[in-house]
Amino acid sequence: MTTTTAPPVGPTPTDPRQAVDPLPGAGSTWSVSWHGVRTVATLELRQRVRSTRWIVSLVVFGLLVGGVSVLTWAFARQVDDAAWTVGPTMFGFIAFFVLFLGLLVSPTLSATAINGDRAAGTLATLQVTLLSALEIVLGKLLAAWLASLAFLAVSLPFILWAFATGNTSPLAVLTTVLLLAVMLAVVCAMGLGFSALTARTAGSAVLSYVAVASLSVLSLIIFGLSVPLVSGIETVQVYEEDWEAWEREGNEYPLDGEPMIPCTWVEREQYVSHTERTWWLLAINPFVIVADAAPDAVRPRDDYYGSFDPLALIRQGVRTARLGPPETFNYCWRELEMTGQGFGAGTSDDGRPLSPVWPWGLSVNLLLGAAGVLFATHRLRIPQRTLPRGTRVA
Amino acid sequence: MPTAADGAVGPAPLAPAPEHPGIVVSGVRRHFGAVRAVDGVDLVARRGAVTALIGPNGSGKTTLLLVLAGLLVPDAGTVRIAGHDPVTAGLTTRALTGWMPDAFGTWDSLTAREVLTTVGAAYRLPAARAAARAAELLDLVHLTDLADRPAHVLSRGQKQRLGLARALVHDPQVLLLDEPASGLDPRSRVDLRVLVRDLAAQGKTILVSSHVLVELDEMADDAVFVSAGRTVAAESLAAASAARRPWRLRALSQSGLAGWLTAAGVPWRPEGGTANGFAPPPDLLDSPGSLVVDLDGEAGAADLLRAAVGAGVPVTSLAPASGALEATYLALEEERR
Repeated sequence: MTTTTAPPVGPTPTDPRQAVDPLPGAGSTWSVSWHGVRTVATLELRQRVRSTRWIVSLVVFGLLVGGVSVLTWAFARQVDDAAWTVGPTMFGFIAFFVLFLGLLVSPTLSATAINGDRAAGTLATLQVTLLSALEIVLGKLLAAWLASLAFLAVSLPFILWAFATGNTSPLAVLTTVLLLAVMLAVVCAMGLGFSALTARTAGSAVLSYVAVASLSVLSLIIFGLSVPLVSGIETVQVYEEDWEAWEREGNEYPLDGEPMIPCTWVEREQYVSHTERTWWLLAINPFVIVADAAPDAVRPRDDYYGSFDPLALIRQGVRTARLGPPETFNYCWRELEMTGQGFGAGTSDDGRPLSPVWPWGLSVNLLLGAAGVLFATHRLRIPQRTLPRGTRVA
Repeated sequence: MPTAADGAVGPAPLAPAPEHPGIVVSGVRRHFGAVRAVDGVDLVARRGAVTALIGPNGSGKTTLLLVLAGLLVPDAGTVRIAGHDPVTAGLTTRALTGWMPDAFGTWDSLTAREVLTTVGAAYRLPAARAAARAAELLDLVHLTDLADRPAHVLSRGQKQRLGLARALVHDPQVLLLDEPASGLDPRSRVDLRVLVRDLAAQGKTILVSSHVLVELDEMADDAVFVSAGRTVAAESLAAASAARRPWRLRALSQSGLAGWLTAAGVPWRPEGGTANGFAPPPDLLDSPGSLVVDLDGEAGAADLLRAAVGAGVPVTSLAPASGALEATYLALEEERR
């Protein structure tokens, strides 16, 4: 500061006020413009990306995924060098590992976005501009999501490697990558909601990880522990081989071939698990969503089972759990073999058709993400009437 | 320093209403839990004038500015910013208001220029205009040299200047400055004062909160005193200057000066002494020194000076011992005890 006269503050050739959005309602809490969202997202990316060891994080992430991919490849080949399952096995493991790391990384990007700014004193200066609360929230969400997509992009080569190994449907690559991206967005949105909820960044980070753990691990544990609660001895209708009748008719065991045992309906007491009441605990799991949405591996015609395709196993298990026990049990093996029931994809072991669970799980997750966004927006609307406990405005 | 006549070159105000005063606050209350941060504030800040908001720490100045900036809803009372209610017409008032917060935060990783262009974009300026405005403001607050350095290398005073530029990005009609001078070096304080006077001359409404009263003496036209969340007094600087307050009179001989004052019937006291009339003189020096007298404004000072010079007292200076606002402030504090 060396001059003694103040420079002119007067009108500028470009009077900025002319650009003030004349639309009534623009900038109020729920209005959104791409310009506003982009402004906030750019700010966030510049602010956060420059302030973190970004490249280092990406490289470490890539090395981790790469290392696990190589191990998976070695493991899958160990089981059977030439088997068709090597590709699908690799694909399943790598997809899950990327999802696992992504779920760990994403909350760090969004879970401190609002309370961190509040603590740094930069939130209110953004709020008093013409940006709407929703634009601020969506901008922060977009920035956090783009950042987590960078991690996904780093792992993409390894997912493609697994695909190139063979027998994975191209559609599986597409659904998996898409759903990975969507699940990262959901986690970012939930983190954002938590960062609007708590005053301290540590609190929201913990809550975000608790939420991720609840969806991906705790739900699984509760499902397992709740099996006894929904299970018990019940009287069920069973269609089974009637050996007594066969003997009464004076039949003798044939020397060659199978005996033609007649089947009949009887009532039996049997242990039954009503997982159709708790399947949703599995469906909300991000890992299940990704696994369930992927199409089946491309099988050679002569091979039914004998696969170790983790995605297919999860798919079969969750869809079967959703069906619950059948109304009647068919133990008439002879007839089953004749009709060929109980085999093939798309049916349960007892031959009932299976339906996908991922649309349900995805919907629940999207609702959770939307709730995070709506809550954060609600907290950012100004002027504020009540302040959340422990927070300051600026 | 520009005069009000310079205001003719300023842009015409966007909001209607020359008849609307800049800021009108009546009976505003705002509590946080059990704490009554603002408990009945009334004030009027005129357009084209600088109004000082004065009060001790914790008297509710910052909370009041948060209400005016449209961040908080008052529990009671009304606020009008250029005739608009920040609660019901939030967007309009936000477009008209520039707020420089007290608690200072800045986006550390952005450069000073990016901070301003980002805020410009947030006020929906097109990119080219935002860039031009940023360059202009950086020049205004003398940060052009540091424009492309990240904000975290800026000193506290430089950040403060950047904060002022940020509040000016959208050329607001109403400026809310919360402790703008804190952390500024003397040169920057002078610049701030000139800038604020200049903006007022353009017809903008400026409300400055501070407890550095000397600073405000030079800058403000009006003053509003708040204490414990209430308005306790409001007066113009002219009135405050005319009020009775202590002046410091200096002469070549301190004892000679005391002798003349006593003879002339003017109560005096030594520096830092209490005003108890004609107390026996403490050990006064026969060398240059000063004494404090209470005078009624500039007119009283002129009378005393004329008399002293006429009587041959070797007076070297006569100046207010405290700022006009400081005297009023201390008097109010005195009353409240």
